[in-house]
Amino acid sequence: MIGLSHYLVVSAALFALGVLGLLSRRNAVHVLMSIELMLNAANVNLVAFSRYAAGNLGGQVFAVFVIVVAAAEVAVALAIVLTLYRLRRTPNLDDADILKG
Amino acid sequence: MDELTRSLAWFRPETALVAGLLLVVIVDSIGGAWRGPVMRLLTVLALALALGFALELQTEGAKASLFSGMLVIDPLSVAFKLVLIAAGLLTVLAFSFRNSRELHGLGQGELFALVLALVLSCLLLAAANDIVMLYLALEMVSITSYVMVAYLKGDRMSNEASLKYVLFGAASTGSMLYGFSLLYGLAGTTSMPGIQEYLAGGIPDANRFAVYAVTLLVLAGFGFKIAAVPFHFWCPDVYQGAPTPVTALLSVLPKAAGLAIALRFFYGTLSVPEAGPWDLAGSINWKALLMLVSVLTMTLGNVAALTQTNMKRLLAYSSIAHAGYLLMGIVALSENGARGLLVYLAAYLVMNLGAFLVVTLVHLHDGSFDLRDYPGLYRRAPLLTLAMAFFLLSLVGIPPFVGFLAKLYVFAAVIEQGMGIYATIGALNAAVAAYYYFGILKVMTIDPGNEDKPALELAFADQAWLAAFALANLVPLLFWDRIESWARGALVLYAGR
Amino acid sequence: MSGEAVVFWIFATLSVASAAVVVLARTLIYSAFALLATFFGVAGLYVLLGADFLAATQILIYVGGILVLLLFGVMLTHKIYDLDLRSGTIQLASGLIVAAGLFVILAATALKTEWPTLARAPAPTTAGIGRLFLSDYLLPFEAASVLLLVALMGAAMIVRRRRDA
Repeated sequence: MIGLSHYLVVSAALFALGVLGLLSRRNAVHVLMSIELMLNAANVNLVAFSRYAAGNLGGQVFAVFVIVVAAAEVAVALAIVLTLYRLRRTPNLDDADILKG
Repeated sequence: MDELTRSLAWFRPETALVAGLLLVVIVDSIGGAWRGPVMRLLTVLALALALGFALELQTEGAKASLFSGMLVIDPLSVAFKLVLIAAGLLTVLAFSFRNSRELHGLGQGELFALVLALVLSCLLLAAANDIVMLYLALEMVSITSYVMVAYLKGDRMSNEASLKYVLFGAASTGSMLYGFSLLYGLAGTTSMPGIQEYLAGGIPDANRFAVYAVTLLVLAGFGFKIAAVPFHFWCPDVYQGAPTPVTALLSVLPKAAGLAIALRFFYGTLSVPEAGPWDLAGSINWKALLMLVSVLTMTLGNVAALTQTNMKRLLAYSSIAHAGYLLMGIVALSENGARGLLVYLAAYLVMNLGAFLVVTLVHLHDGSFDLRDYPGLYRRAPLLTLAMAFFLLSLVGIPPFVGFLAKLYVFAAVIEQGMGIYATIGALNAAVAAYYYFGILKVMTIDPGNEDKPALELAFADQAWLAAFALANLVPLLFWDRIESWARGALVLYAGR
Repeated sequence: MSGEAVVFWIFATLSVASAAVVVLARTLIYSAFALLATFFGVAGLYVLLGADFLAATQILIYVGGILVLLLFGVMLTHKIYDLDLRSGTIQLASGLIVAAGLFVILAATALKTEWPTLARAPAPTTAGIGRLFLSDYLLPFEAASVLLLVALMGAAMIVRRRRDA
């Protein structure tokens, strides 16, 4: 019998994997993908709670807003990555070492 | 429909800003050589109008929940809105595309539109009453900031800073979102009063851990916005990489909005009226946690600032330290604390903007942000040095400057709650900070060097703004009782919600 | 196992396994396509949870918009003549410890907590969500339009090549 806890564990796994990518990846686009995993994990939580715990659609509406925000964030982030790439020819985070301290 | 029209009546400042934003975008797309000054005028008008509306709202003493509980309007939120709009207005007036060398030649329309959007988002954030609105407003503030920081797109350092800012910010708000999802699951609603009701109803022991997890995750998002340790890493790089007017704006607006919502969240939502109105749900020692964050923040900020030679980075670490002092207002968890927070933010606004204006003007004339190029300014630009002296003394917190008043409020609030050691640490930090603030003054006045450089010819507008900010740092002490009653009035009604 | 359980395990495994590939793969292209699979897996989970509108939105926007944008980003930012598309060294060990700890804490919290049990019977959600957008959540809905304006203007301004006076 599939219940709330199944979905919560899946989302916990997605979130943890997102954090792993965030901490261990050097390339900005990789980090961005990891952040998308974290956002999707939160969304799964929201929808699961909407279905099993809250009994209302608030969680699903919240999830739609999260998708909108994610889209805007990715657009801006990639614009910056592209500009940085043009200037430096690498979107690697570790190479972004001009600013130290 | 009734809800909508009723809410719009209280929504006047934000409406003015939206109208300004749309007009600026339209004017920018029409084109024409005249659009620069017109857009600046539109921006100033929109902000001034918003400020007027906010003052009106303050005298009306409004208390209502707007837009089906998405926003709340009460004296506290109106007081924060005044500070936020004033910050935006003063920045747009004092800094311009003329007196900032970094902005020369860059497109004007987008920046004005972004400033309006930033102020609008901060207003929405400071008054949010629902976690959906909170998350959306926080992300609006963040994304607008990311774009503004990336304005100098031809500069490599600036781009790297904005990229770090985006990724760090997205990760922090992503964590906060996960916390919010758990909170929604626990309370079954996205409305903050609803969540407060749920928490007040008593949580079973099995759920306590979830509440702890939620608070820690949410702290990630707030801490990032306020630039508190350990979420401060983006601050020096971003402040250095962004154009200085943007840095000045970012040093006040997102920080103030983040503190406003943190205050509302911790005081209004997470607190449970049990043994007094400030008892945080879960009975864990949140005070100690917040105190730790505050102490680490101010200490790290002050210690790191000691070795900086780049003025923008120095002021960035100084901002981090001040966030630590500002957090004292929240840690005190009392009416006096909230009042101290308000007064400190207003003071911080004039201190910080003044300091950044000085940095911008020096860069305009000398082309340098390095403190090692500052000797001899006493001789070359006496008004500028005098103004800077006012700002620095205010930042240290020396009477009779407004910075002293601000520190007095927060320290008193903390001592009143019996946290004497905490206040002592704050005072020690202020002493450490005095070292580098006075150091700047010493370099500007006493240090030898740059004898061959000519005097700085400041434009009249720049001189006027320097004088205005300098006076703003000195004069408020004369009106102390009015400030006191303003701050008190902002709280009395809120506590009786 | 019931049909629902089978479908759940398929989508859950798809999501988590491809998420692992996103995080651990050597090259950006592998990660991008694994992310595609993750998004589809999550969309499948939404369908199981009765969130039909959200599942469609997930595919339309996440896959059709965000992922395509990410792929553009990946394609436009590597040297075309460089065949070795390695993405740099990975500080895997410490990251794994933190992530594993985080997973244990979050999963334990989720399993231990007594969540409320107000269930919502699966039913078409589009009308309900639409109604909420225009009533309770009207302000965030409109504010989102300002957000998108800012993001659009900002991204275009950042990427634009020519200097504008």
